[in-house]
Amino acid sequence: MAANQGSVTMPDLGDVSDALVVQWLCAEGERVNEGDDLLEVETEKTTFVIPAPQDGVLRRIAAPEGTRVRQGDLLAELE
Amino acid sequence: MIAHLDLGIADYAETLTLQRRLHARRCAGEIGDVLLSVEHPPVLTLGRSGSREHVLVPPATLREHGIEIHEIERGGDITYHGPGQLVMYPILDLRAYGKDVHRFVWTLEEGILRALAACGIEAARRAGYPGVWVGERKIASLGVYVKHWVSYHGIAVNVAVNPEHFALIRPCGLPVETVSVNDLRSGPIELSDVRDPLIEALEALWATEIASVDRQELI
Repeated sequence: MAANQGSVTMPDLGDVSDALVVQWLCAEGERVNEGDDLLEVETEKTTFVIPAPQDGVLRRIAAPEGTRVRQGDLLAELE
Repeated sequence: MIAHLDLGIADYAETLTLQRRLHARRCAGEIGDVLLSVEHPPVLTLGRSGSREHVLVPPATLREHGIEIHEIERGGDITYHGPGQLVMYPILDLRAYGKDVHRFVWTLEEGILRALAACGIEAARRAGYPGVWVGERKIASLGVYVKHWVSYHGIAVNVAVNPEHFALIRPCGLPVETVSVNDLRSGPIELSDVRDPLIEALEALWATEIASVDRQELI
């Protein structure tokens, strides 16, 4: 299923089961540009920085810090 | 090809600055992949999911030993670095190595396992606890940061570490004991006795040459 326009979903990090959202680097309401650091997730002692997939305003954080996420899970909505 | 730079004994904070600079240059495509080897003076580093509660002695005791704590961006909890420990920081574009975080961590562990085997030590992984273990004791730690699919931070193998320094922390926040290579075999050992077979193992695992370079060639 294709992600909705503006959805930020958990990318494919390879053969990992899940990851923990450790830190959001932007706040709701903040404007971001494509490629800006959006959040950090951690799996297997690796911190992985997820960038904003497009320009927009971070409307809603769907996976707050402490949430476990899998590939394809909704992380946030941009508009 | 991966350029290997041996920094010898180098300050943690200075090496972190160097890693971040090399990471930025790697992301910009100005340099190729790099592997740093280093031995740090005593220092504690706290990863993103770390807690100062895992320091087992008061701040004054750390100050007496001249040990600083650095809060850093890598994954994992608290780690000790110090003399007698082989630290390696791979600054690699993981898009050329399968674009797979699990595969990268597995490969680092596998390289350590093979290097320890070359030293006559049988070590193993523990499911759910990244790093390398000899029985219940931890012999190597791991903590990585990946941004724009380029890695930094890395691995630390205990070759001949002062056991008194291990008593300062609960490694990785776990109630585990730590062990060094020289606790498990007799005779003198140098960091290079582990580093050289580790580099050889990583060359085979990554299917690329790891060639020594001078600082001037890289920085």
